[in-house]
Amino acid sequence: MNANARHSQAMHFTARAADKVRNPVLQQALQKAKPLFSGKRAKAMAALPDDGLEFEALREACAGIRDRALNDLDVWLEIFEENARARGAEVLWARDGGEICDLVIDVARRHGVKKVTKSKSMLSEEAHLNDALAAAGIEPVETDLGEYIIQLAGEAPSHIIAPAVHKTLQEVEALFAEKHGRPQAARTSADIPALAKEARGVLRQHFLSADMGISGANFLIAETGTATLVTNEGNGRMVTTLPRVHVVITGIEKVVPTLQDFATLMRLLPRSATGQTISNYVSLLTGTRADDESEGPTKTVFILVDNGRADVVGSHYQDILRCIRCGACMNHCPVYFSLGGHAYGWVYPGPMGSVLTPLYTGIENALDLPHASTGCRQCSSVCPVRIPLPELMHGLRQEQQRRGLRPWGERFGLRAWAWIAGRPTLYRALTRIAARYLNWLADGEGRIRLFGFAPGWTTARDLPVAGGGKTFFEQYAASKRD
Amino acid sequence: MSARDDILARVRAGVGKGDADARRAAALARLQAGQSGPQPTLTGDLVERFCAKAESLASTVARVDDYAAVPAHVAEWLSARQLPLQAVTALDVAGLDWAEAGLSCRSGVAVDADPVGISGCFCAIAETGTLMLLSGPATPASVSLLPETHIALVPAARVVASMEDAFALLKAERGALPRAVNFVSGPSRTGDIEQTIVLGAHGPCRVHLIVIGENS
Ligand code: SF4
Repeated sequence: MNANARHSQAMHFTARAADKVRNPVLQQALQKAKPLFSGKRAKAMAALPDDGLEFEALREACAGIRDRALNDLDVWLEIFEENARARGAEVLWARDGGEICDLVIDVARRHGVKKVTKSKSMLSEEAHLNDALAAAGIEPVETDLGEYIIQLAGEAPSHIIAPAVHKTLQEVEALFAEKHGRPQAARTSADIPALAKEARGVLRQHFLSADMGISGANFLIAETGTATLVTNEGNGRMVTTLPRVHVVITGIEKVVPTLQDFATLMRLLPRSATGQTISNYVSLLTGTRADDESEGPTKTVFILVDNGRADVVGSHYQDILRCIRCGACMNHCPVYFSLGGHAYGWVYPGPMGSVLTPLYTGIENALDLPHASTGCRQCSSVCPVRIPLPELMHGLRQEQQRRGLRPWGERFGLRAWAWIAGRPTLYRALTRIAARYLNWLADGEGRIRLFGFAPGWTTARDLPVAGGGKTFFEQYAASKRD
Repeated sequence: MSARDDILARVRAGVGKGDADARRAAALARLQAGQSGPQPTLTGDLVERFCAKAESLASTVARVDDYAAVPAHVAEWLSARQLPLQAVTALDVAGLDWAEAGLSCRSGVAVDADPVGISGCFCAIAETGTLMLLSGPATPASVSLLPETHIALVPAARVVASMEDAFALLKAERGALPRAVNFVSGPSRTGDIEQTIVLGAHGPCRVHLIVIGENS
């Protein structure tokens, strides 16, 4: 069994989705976030022409940069590794989550590490690293405010850039009161700065006392052997400046060739993610503390992770590896905003998750996800690296068919439909009967209130019947005659 | 097989192109060529653009004629906000006459208790209103990170248009990257509680930029 599948709930998507739709607190949080996410991005993109920039030209360039890296990924990884080593960093490789945990714990033990402060890393979620660290007697502290909140709550992130988007202010207040040992107070949105300040105070002490910092990397730059970190809170800078040891955990697909490539990508990443023209802190980290410096890590370790990625290189799905984790696809997804991220059952939610989860945890272990789409195509129209997400989901659905992973009834139905559709005379005859029948079922307003064959379709809406019992062909022929 | 060799072998099989040496040579040639993507066309004065952008990101900006005017301005700015007249300075700006302006300054690495950090910058970027800070013995990264207030001195002549120009300047003047390059654009912020933006997440709560002189 795929090791990632052990931690995945993706097979329970339908049941979890039904739960999430009925959770009023979650729905309140999602409805509040939705217009903010899409509105900020739209405003940022609309302002690009003021500086003589253009979204389509930029995303063409960004997609090109990512493709160039992926099309010779082995070469760029080797160049990155050489340059990182030349600057004194150690470069390690991990095939899966288990190997990530082993390597991190080994580094921690070698350096006598007791406490780890962490800047957001999705790879660490893939590996369930916090559990492994705790089991090894090492205290992990998440320091991104959103990640900190969900660590206190014992939950997983529900969004790749806003991990606690599913939490309301009242829930955060209750959590802080309990975990920080103080009485709970009545809070309004005017108190949000006070809560942020409270977390700042608690986390500052952790920053100052941690022995090791763990971060992800938004990109690796091959020409300089550099990890780049893009954050707003400054926690990324803290965990890479104060502790003695810095461990970067990142996927092998994150490499880009040059500093200029990085500069180009930075024109779209913050705009796509939060609508900012630039994030507050963009850090380029290379090597270790110099001999004459009195701060910065004396030990820097890169862990380059496969965990399913290598097998996607050169496959029908390689385009998904261009992903720069901006979150725009989920921010514009009607399915995501109906369910929140937890329904998806593994690390990555939304459209990109519906592609990545089957690829990284096994197609047979995430059967519903490639179907979690309304076909609106918003995701691919906002994606800054032009990933054809609907096509990739479609490809996964086809593969499910080919491998016989769909239910018997669905497979039989599709085969029957294909057989009929290949015989025009029969097809027209049958559709004529179907159109008359639907018209007969409809009420006076041309609507079917309850459709007996598939009642699920009509539980929350009516099925309108157009054409008054005539098929499209009949209507078309009639219009030609007129 | 080691994890490294296993992963690289599977990536190579996926890439499926053979002739790794030729591909490596092409990659290295690409690094030499130094191509860049679409860049903005900024109209008007770069320094003014830098100041306006920085203000839009919640920094405050002041302009003074020369370095000699800086300490008095800092003392006045801090007093007006009832902030302590006490700071840690990066070593490259430690030589200004802070004491004469009534500031008690220590230079070096910042600690948690430092209320104010004063730094210079390597250069600044007009496109986004961004400071480019390099780590180094004379320019510790903690000065712009730990204190609640960060004050940065920005020579007008060091304002460049874009991140690409900043990288070119770095290459020309330093050759290699230092351990940390930090691009800083305003006070730290978070939107993690109900998407409400709060200034002062983990880094400084306020950033004051002092632009020195005219663009030459
Ligand atoms: S798939 Fe595209 S839109 Fe979605 S997170 Fe990745 S880069 Fe962003």
